[in-house]
Amino acid sequence: MADARNPVHGFARHADSAWRVRARRGWELIANVLSNPTTVIGLVIVVLMIGMALLAPYITVPNTPDPYQMPRDWGAVRAPPGTPGHPLGTTNRGGDVLYGIIWGARTSLRLSLTVVSLTVVIGVIIGSLAGFIGGRLDEVLMRIVDVFLSIPELIFALAIAAVLGPSFGNIIMALVVVFWVKYARIMRAQIIRIKQSEYIDAARVIGDSKLRIYLKDVLPNSITPVMVQATLDMGNIVLIGATLSFIGLSEAGIAEWGVLVSEGQAGISAGRWWASTFPGLMVFLWALAFNLVGDGLRDVLDPRTESGR
Amino acid sequence: MQIRDYILRRLMVLPILIIGTSIVVFGLTRVGGSPIGIYLSHEMSPAEVAEIEARFHLDKPLPVQYVYWLSGVARGDLGWSGVAAAPVAEIFPDKLAATMELAVAAGLVAVALGIGLGTFAGARRNRMPDHIVRVLAVAGASMPLFWFAILLLIVFWVYLGWFPIGRSDPTIFASIAHPTGLYTIDAILAGSFTALRDAVWHLVLPAVTLGYGATAIIARMMRSSLVEELQEDYVEAARAKGLPERLVLRRHARRNALIPTVTVIGLTFGFLLQGTVVAEIVFRWPGLGRWMADAVLRGDQATIMAYVMFTSVLFLVVNLVVDVIYVYLDRRVVLGG
Repeated sequence: MADARNPVHGFARHADSAWRVRARRGWELIANVLSNPTTVIGLVIVVLMIGMALLAPYITVPNTPDPYQMPRDWGAVRAPPGTPGHPLGTTNRGGDVLYGIIWGARTSLRLSLTVVSLTVVIGVIIGSLAGFIGGRLDEVLMRIVDVFLSIPELIFALAIAAVLGPSFGNIIMALVVVFWVKYARIMRAQIIRIKQSEYIDAARVIGDSKLRIYLKDVLPNSITPVMVQATLDMGNIVLIGATLSFIGLSEAGIAEWGVLVSEGQAGISAGRWWASTFPGLMVFLWALAFNLVGDGLRDVLDPRTESGR
Repeated sequence: MQIRDYILRRLMVLPILIIGTSIVVFGLTRVGGSPIGIYLSHEMSPAEVAEIEARFHLDKPLPVQYVYWLSGVARGDLGWSGVAAAPVAEIFPDKLAATMELAVAAGLVAVALGIGLGTFAGARRNRMPDHIVRVLAVAGASMPLFWFAILLLIVFWVYLGWFPIGRSDPTIFASIAHPTGLYTIDAILAGSFTALRDAVWHLVLPAVTLGYGATAIIARMMRSSLVEELQEDYVEAARAKGLPERLVLRRHARRNALIPTVTVIGLTFGFLLQGTVVAEIVFRWPGLGRWMADAVLRGDQATIMAYVMFTSVLFLVVNLVVDVIYVYLDRRVVLGG
């Protein structure tokens, strides 16, 4: 991150000029990110997905009373794609695949936004406490992090969701418990690195309070890797969430991509490929898009850990 | 000296992590309430229930129950699996063999393909093969395993009919003995070509499904570290002394590029282990993963605990081994916190 190398920032007392520097840097950053074609592809898919999620109530007729439940058209069970009224076909129980895809985007957005924002907040707080305060607290918190990291993600989430009982809300809970750890670790490493910078020394010499140093110098300069990880996790969380739903840990019948793939699975031996194929494709595109954007962000923000140029 | 200290330190931390994990797993399953349900029937009187509670120490405080559970695990008593209607420890070895056979097959696919594709792409940087491999690798990291499995099933099982599902043909299965539980090995031991072909045939689709994600990770790492190595001075030196490009690649660059790749290969092990759950469900493979999925859906606590504990310990040990190998391979690694 450019800030870390710019000693001017630590002394910038004129809010106006600091703001202008930040804005210019922001624009440079955006231009940089957009210069990579694969990132742009990812970004376009992300925008389309989010647009679909937000516009779901307007581009479909919401099911009543709960629009997140699949509507059942018992007159058109197992209809192939191209059936009037069901352009992508229906499932074994008359669920319209297109409706499931559109409302599934909304479900996925809800899932990923909730989990990412909660885990980022928890992780940043815990990582900051460990890194900034250090000592015994750091030791204890990091051992807890190690224990959480020693159970493979999906299996951990599976076990938690199993204990809580099958429901979409419990999948969210399970993913929060599993995913905060990474952020805590990233944040701690960043803070320990930043703490040694000269501009932190400078702020200390000036007599800034610890809290002020943390909020003004440490936090803004250490947050970028967290943002990169959060972007990647927007995709990963939907991937794992859909996997848990596919295994059967959501309520049956909700408009969620993993649930739909699972529902469609029963029909594939009879040649009804569509009910699994389309919703699964959505999970893939969602994860792919956020991965592309996340990689693009990392290339620009954090070139040292870059993998493929 | 330093390496030995590092390994010793890691070995000392390992039991702490395992105990920590066991506390998390135990605490987790007890969040859902007492596991007494599986021992009860409707006709029991309160006195009988209390007796059962006392027999399995479920009337004691949680920390005491934890110690009883842990000592049971140490003695090989993993509890009763409601799903399998048998003791967990009795069912475990067969399921483990099935899962390991699948995971190892997938791992072999991933290592061979990953290193091959990564080298191929890295040596042809920014040309067409490189772009194709990169797209495949990025797609692999985002591929929902359950969907990929179903796609393969639709194409190769439903439409083409080339590959079967399940783990073996029942008549061929019955025709030979199964001392190891690894059907390919059993077939070789029995000297039966039919059985070997059957075992391998059943392995292909699940192993490819499971291996794809890991292939992508390995290929990506191999490619980028090869690209990096090819820019090093020693590669220039090798070229300058007139070594053919093929040998520069094979003897020098690829060897060094393999070092970071080894770490990634180790890390994909966890990936493979997790993937078995989904691959086994879709392909009806009778292993640990499918058992776990059943246990999860039916609240079979003993199985869930055994499975999570087992995979975590395995994961920890493999990660430790990988780190140690890495340190040995690359003495430049800084050993710290």
